[in-house]
Amino acid sequence: MTGAQPVILGDMPSLSKLYVNAAATAARRRVLGTDAGITLPPCGHEVRGVTAEVGNLTAYQHLVGETASDILPAGFIHALAFPVSMSVMNRDDFPLPLLGMVHLGNRVEQHGAILFTEALDITSWAENLGGHRAGTQVDIVAVVRRAGESMVLWRGTSTYLAKGVFLPGIDKPSAPAAPATFSAPDPTALWQLGVDTGRAYAAVSGDFNPIHLSVLSAKALGLRRSIAHGMYLASRALADVGAVKGESFRWDVAFEAPVFLPARVALDISSVNSPSGAWLRSGYAAWNPRSGRRHFTGSVSAL
Amino acid sequence: MSFTGQSATGPEESSTSQAAKHGRDSLRKAVVVGGNRIPFARTGGAYTKSSNQDMLTAALDGLIARFGLQDERIGEVAAGAVLKHSRDFNLTREAVLGSALSAETPAYDLQQACATGLETVLGLANKIKLGQIDSAIAGGVDSASDAPIAVSEGLREVLLDLNRAKTLPQRIQVLSRLRPKDLAPDAPNTGEPRTGLSMGEHQALTTAQWKITREAQDQLAYNSHRNLAAAYDAGFFDDLLTPYRGLTRDSNLRADTTLEKLATLKPVFGKNLGAEATMTAGNSTPLTDGASTVLLASEEWADAHELPKLATVVDGEAAAVDFVHGKDGLLMAPAFAVPRLLARNGLTLDDIDFFEIHEAFAGTVLSTLAAWEDEEFGRTRLGLDGALGSIDRSTLNVNGSSLAAGHPFAATGGRIVASLAKMLHDKGRVDGRPARGLISICAAGGQGVVAILEGF
Repeated sequence: MTGAQPVILGDMPSLSKLYVNAAATAARRRVLGTDAGITLPPCGHEVRGVTAEVGNLTAYQHLVGETASDILPAGFIHALAFPVSMSVMNRDDFPLPLLGMVHLGNRVEQHGAILFTEALDITSWAENLGGHRAGTQVDIVAVVRRAGESMVLWRGTSTYLAKGVFLPGIDKPSAPAAPATFSAPDPTALWQLGVDTGRAYAAVSGDFNPIHLSVLSAKALGLRRSIAHGMYLASRALADVGAVKGESFRWDVAFEAPVFLPARVALDISSVNSPSGAWLRSGYAAWNPRSGRRHFTGSVSAL
Repeated sequence: MSFTGQSATGPEESSTSQAAKHGRDSLRKAVVVGGNRIPFARTGGAYTKSSNQDMLTAALDGLIARFGLQDERIGEVAAGAVLKHSRDFNLTREAVLGSALSAETPAYDLQQACATGLETVLGLANKIKLGQIDSAIAGGVDSASDAPIAVSEGLREVLLDLNRAKTLPQRIQVLSRLRPKDLAPDAPNTGEPRTGLSMGEHQALTTAQWKITREAQDQLAYNSHRNLAAAYDAGFFDDLLTPYRGLTRDSNLRADTTLEKLATLKPVFGKNLGAEATMTAGNSTPLTDGASTVLLASEEWADAHELPKLATVVDGEAAAVDFVHGKDGLLMAPAFAVPRLLARNGLTLDDIDFFEIHEAFAGTVLSTLAAWEDEEFGRTRLGLDGALGSIDRSTLNVNGSSLAAGHPFAATGGRIVASLAKMLHDKGRVDGRPARGLISICAAGGQGVVAILEGF
């Protein structure tokens, strides 16, 4: 993290206000031609004493296929921390436009079980502003600790791409990464995602990004139809890996083709065990069973 | 001969019971290693949004954590729920798959109304005794909050016919049969299908028949709350329970209730009988959500895993009564099962150190005890020389029972078995023999399942 102490926010930021503000900022920048510079905000944001709302937790767990246990799923913690991360991306000195950013991937380290009854301190900041062949990418990091404690229990890094935004001084990678050819394996699962999948996940995660909500709101942002939240898909894959992962694990996902709703998504989960039979890792890949286009890949592994 | 009951001993008393006893003696033992449940919650409370699968998995995961069963392939898991969604046909297996047990652990669902939990213990214990499996987890779960609601019979038939219809005119014809009343949902109830009476109304008949007073029922309810509260305060449940959804104790428990408060409650069942109505919300169990599990094993398996052996599952017995036309009360089957079980094991009520009689209603427990104390019932219904006998009330439900804890139907058996096994183990030996406990659980449909456990 950058050297500066995080700004302590009094309350959990409201995602809906942040989205409205982001739209206003985008409009202002467009009209006035102002920009926010080419460096990341010098400090992060922190909200202290956050607790999960149990009804929301249960709804989340049921939606992504987790059992409603008292332990917060790693993807739920991402959703819990998301408003803090959004508030960082919403700062006036954040150099990229928040709306329309593409979620490229996510990495999470879970260092132990967090119960829904525990009060948490959530800190988020931006780092690794860098070039991408299609624009500029940035890592938004969030860490979660038990309130007042220093040990990080959960750390998530989300990589976002601002498409078509090229900041001076940041070099574009010379050669675009050659897309590896993907030949779909036999699926281990098939998901039927209804047209309301985005709205359902928005309701439990609070992420009401218009690209997920309806065909109309998605079209307004240049998509042909609404798309599933990346973290919904990754959270379902995590739930599918199951209890074998234990309470401490590493979880990552790299998003490729978006999942336009409604959709059928084929999934393969393959596990690797040690010679003694202990679980080491489960890798997953998801694709469109008709076109064979890959939607995302990722893994869950022992930490 | 005027005997029209269910003989406690059978005509060939000595030879059959001797043979049965000899057969059991040659089997290995099934031991209770321990148990785990989540606190029971009144319906509409902390577990409102939790499904049966959620709660069963929570209880199971607590058991797995307590006894280090992560990735363990258990011989078999059996559990069930009384109020069950049709999508939960494989409820127990799904809970196993969602738990930290090895995914290679087989499981099956069982349903015998409120006796479900105890019957899973007996069935799995028998498999262990026969050497078919070495370890097992028995359990049960119920949610009255997340109860299934079905579509009406009319709508169901239309939907099924619509699926079979091949042409548009056929579909229109089928749809035209729909009437507004078909859209009303079909919610579950606790009524008996053959009589239409609720369980409480049935018990009110029995309570009146055995002349059980309001005061006696309130006293039993009071004892249940007082005993359960004392057990919590003494830490008795520390290794029998894992918190869930913010609850650390059964939410129905009223540690501060008094006989005076119980006496102020208005009767809710039996208000239209000739006799005085005596059954209130205080001396009847409320609808409850919860789950329980019990770990069973052979001695060898428990030893190899360095796990405790609390008690052995000695024997069990099921009984049923003809309640439909009132020959016996709906919940009186244990009154017949217990004498048979005792006789087969060469025991009397005096040989039992702890009685765990499930408190569906205070009136159920008291009617059962009254029947056992009744000379005529003993002679004409049990085929004995006189009354079966009476019990020392200080040995009854000593750590509380369903009136205080609540009663998530299928979860009650596991709650009682785990608690009793611990009590028997703690008690040690009595007169040179292991402490002995009797469990009696009544169930819908005029059924009952009872069992004997001995301390290890």
